[in-house]
Amino acid sequence: MKEKLLEITSLSKHFGGNAAVSNVSFDVEEEMILGLIGPNGSGKTTLFNCITGYYPLSSGSVRFIGRDITGMKPDKACRLGMVRTWQRVKPLGSLSVLENVMIGAFAKTRSPVRSRNIALERLEMLGMGGLGPKAAGKLPIGLKKKLELARALATGPKLLLLDEICGGLNYSETQELLETIRGIRENGTAIVFIEHDMKAVTGLCDRIVVLKSGEKLAEGLPSEITSNPAVIAAYLGAGYGHA
Amino acid sequence: MTRTLAAIALFTAAAAVLPLFLGDNPYVADIIITMLMMASLASAWNIVGGYAGQFSFGHAAYFGAGAYTTSILLTTGNPGIPLCVAAGVAVSCVIALLTGAIVFRLRGHYFALASIAVAEIVRLTALNLDITGGAQGILVTDVSFGALDMNSKNPFYYAMLFLLVFTLCLSAWLRRTRAGFYLLAIREDQDAAASLGINLYLWKNMALLLSAALASVAGSIYAVYIRFIDTSAVLSLRLSIEIILTTIIGGIGTLWGPVLGATLLVSLAEALRSNMIGAFLVNAGAVSEGSAIGKFLNNNLAHAHVLVYGIITVLCILNLPKGILGMFRRKGSA
Amino acid sequence: MLFFQSLISGILTGGVYALAAMGMSLVFGVMNISNFAHGELMMLGMYLAYYLFILFNIDPFIALLIIMPLTFGFGYAVEKTMIGRVIDHPSENQILLTVGFGLIMSNTALLAFTSDPKILTTSYSSSSISLPGDISVSIPMLLSFIITCALTAALYLFLAKTKTGMALRATSQNREAAQLMGIDVSRMSSIAFGTGTLLAASAGAMIAQTYYIDPFAGHTFLLKSFTICVLGGLGSVIGAAVGGIVIGLVEAMSSAYLSTDWKDVVVFVLFLAILLLRPRGLFGRKGEQ
Ligand SMILES: Nc1ncnc2c1ncn2[C@@H]1O[C@H](COP(=O)(O)OP(=O)(O)OP(=O)(O)O)[C@@H](O)[C@H]1O
Ligand SMILES: [Mg+2]
Repeated sequence: MKEKLLEITSLSKHFGGNAAVSNVSFDVEEEMILGLIGPNGSGKTTLFNCITGYYPLSSGSVRFIGRDITGMKPDKACRLGMVRTWQRVKPLGSLSVLENVMIGAFAKTRSPVRSRNIALERLEMLGMGGLGPKAAGKLPIGLKKKLELARALATGPKLLLLDEICGGLNYSETQELLETIRGIRENGTAIVFIEHDMKAVTGLCDRIVVLKSGEKLAEGLPSEITSNPAVIAAYLGAGYGHA
Repeated sequence: MTRTLAAIALFTAAAAVLPLFLGDNPYVADIIITMLMMASLASAWNIVGGYAGQFSFGHAAYFGAGAYTTSILLTTGNPGIPLCVAAGVAVSCVIALLTGAIVFRLRGHYFALASIAVAEIVRLTALNLDITGGAQGILVTDVSFGALDMNSKNPFYYAMLFLLVFTLCLSAWLRRTRAGFYLLAIREDQDAAASLGINLYLWKNMALLLSAALASVAGSIYAVYIRFIDTSAVLSLRLSIEIILTTIIGGIGTLWGPVLGATLLVSLAEALRSNMIGAFLVNAGAVSEGSAIGKFLNNNLAHAHVLVYGIITVLCILNLPKGILGMFRRKGSA
Repeated sequence: MLFFQSLISGILTGGVYALAAMGMSLVFGVMNISNFAHGELMMLGMYLAYYLFILFNIDPFIALLIIMPLTFGFGYAVEKTMIGRVIDHPSENQILLTVGFGLIMSNTALLAFTSDPKILTTSYSSSSISLPGDISVSIPMLLSFIITCALTAALYLFLAKTKTGMALRATSQNREAAQLMGIDVSRMSSIAFGTGTLLAASAGAMIAQTYYIDPFAGHTFLLKSFTICVLGGLGSVIGAAVGGIVIGLVEAMSSAYLSTDWKDVVVFVLFLAILLLRPRGLFGRKGEQ
């Protein structure tokens, strides 16, 4: 059995009276791709914000590589090896694409020369090799999403939290990106993958957790999830006829 | 990098020989010293405001802390000017650490307001204590320093020039290091920066500390140069705002913006104060000296430089929010 | 008796602070802009009251009837031509713009009226009512407090009952949602800034008999208004009303029991403490971000 990388226990987050996440538990093992799905507003992004330290938890705990990181600041979590991307992309707009990725790489090295090399490598890997000098703020949305990924990868993470990274990409671009993500896992990085597109998730993930209205509705292998009546109902109910 | 260094070297060389050409003109020397001082202050502010994007509205506090510490030490048994400067830096750093501990937990409007409040507390404290001379301020009589002729403008000219060049080199170097990249990342998006492993609190405080120390040195030199300080001269909100405007107008976040801004604004202030502009308009025949407008200009333009600052600021923010140099800067590099 | 004297003067002064701060809070709520020219708008009110009295012999309190529409129009126009154009800019640019605007106002006043402080003296400027126990209540301050209460009530009714008022509140709650609901948010900004200007200028006019009038007179009130707004929760008009009284009291008490020299320091320390401990203020809803 593989080591547990991330352990989430009874995590809840309330905004005033509104429970965005309630009592959610699951684990992520090494080299695993875990899919996190659920209708709009089901609390996926909020869960990420809680895990990475952007929101204080209302209750529950988060352990990462065997350490309790509940309430740990995002930058510290990153330096431990857990990095997230943003659904609402956050490029460092007036800096160049290369500089954006270099800033990620500085988590690994102090040297500008080495960080530049890491950054160039990551950009190349994502097929963005020629974009280095462009202003990050001027990229189209699909490329901004890929920049998020490149920047996060440059920090050399053990665990990548991807929040709707395929948004804004067309079918073939999505397939390409999914392939890249598989490659990242091959290199030993575990991934939590938030996505709306059921097909992408079932094809890619080893396990899937389904959220609905902040609660964990189901967890299991992709085949179990797609045949789970409660999940189907939730998705159909929320208007995801194509799922 | 080499190009930047060459530019700084060229600037230094030109500025270093300038006094030889000015001859013994204390009036012009005074204006240029003021320019160098404002350029140093604006460059220092630029580190925390332009690079890290943290608009401190209270930088007069650090300038003032340097000026006051130096003046107090000089009047209570002159321990030597270098020690005075060092003590000023120490005091400024303590204030900066306290300020940072409070204001860097806040963002946006709240950050700006908190930085003003801290500076106002410093100002009111200086105004109400005995050791700072209260509203009277402090008059320094003994500023002797080795064999230097402290009645000449030269020591101050070169001291300010040295400070400016040091600040420019530091900024240029910083811009190429991890620290510099981190400051820019914080300016662009704090949440994204944190997600990439950047300790916001630490790096913002580093930037402020550096900036405060440099501003404090400017304050110390000023105090020895002018030999009289009071709260309205060295601790006012107006000074804090002038420092920001100098940077903004020249080009925020650029190396030479603060220098350009200081050159423009100090010349402008001087041209207005000495009534050069009024005289120019009369000579050009735009207005006649005896007319109501002519008389009005004659009597009032001397007080108008802050008004003109205000107008320039408004025009700048509305039309070129990145400042004059920012307009020419290539996106995505500096 | 010192206590009761301070209590009363604290509440009376606090009322006027509250009025100015409500204007600032309204602008912040609707436009999400910190107005650093707010003190200058108070200064404008002071000079208007002064010259209306000197030139036309109009009582400063009666003059409010002229000052209010005039300054509303002024604020409305300023928003349309200047402040409204930076509504989507980073907050630093907004702050600098209002700083620049404030510099223009104060230094124009400096050119027009010189830096000599003016004193507005009416027949009742220094009269006061004596209460038992050696407590005196200044008539102009009492009058301004009463008018402040009336204006506060009027503002409250305007925001709660009128269609425009409700639209203003909706914009303040959530600008995008308000826009989707068909509210003309840019008009709301202009109205908010106009109203903010009117409130600041009215506060200025009412204290014109109590303070020296000079081009930089608004300065001290700027930071006080901010303190009050932050205490009450930036954007909360009711919070500003309560915050004003609190700050008036804090000031009066620290003058009485500490020293007049340090009263502003006390206010600013309190300001920082609130920012750190309760950045939403007493009634705030807008968060720290
Ligand atoms: N900062 C916040 N303050 C208040 N409520 C919030 C906040 N962030 C999220 N919420 C609420 O929490 C709930 C979950 O939102 P969240 O963004 O986590 O959903 P999501 O699953 O990521 O949705 P989507 O698929 O649209 O990205 C929503 O009802 C949202 O309104
Ligand atoms: Mg989401």
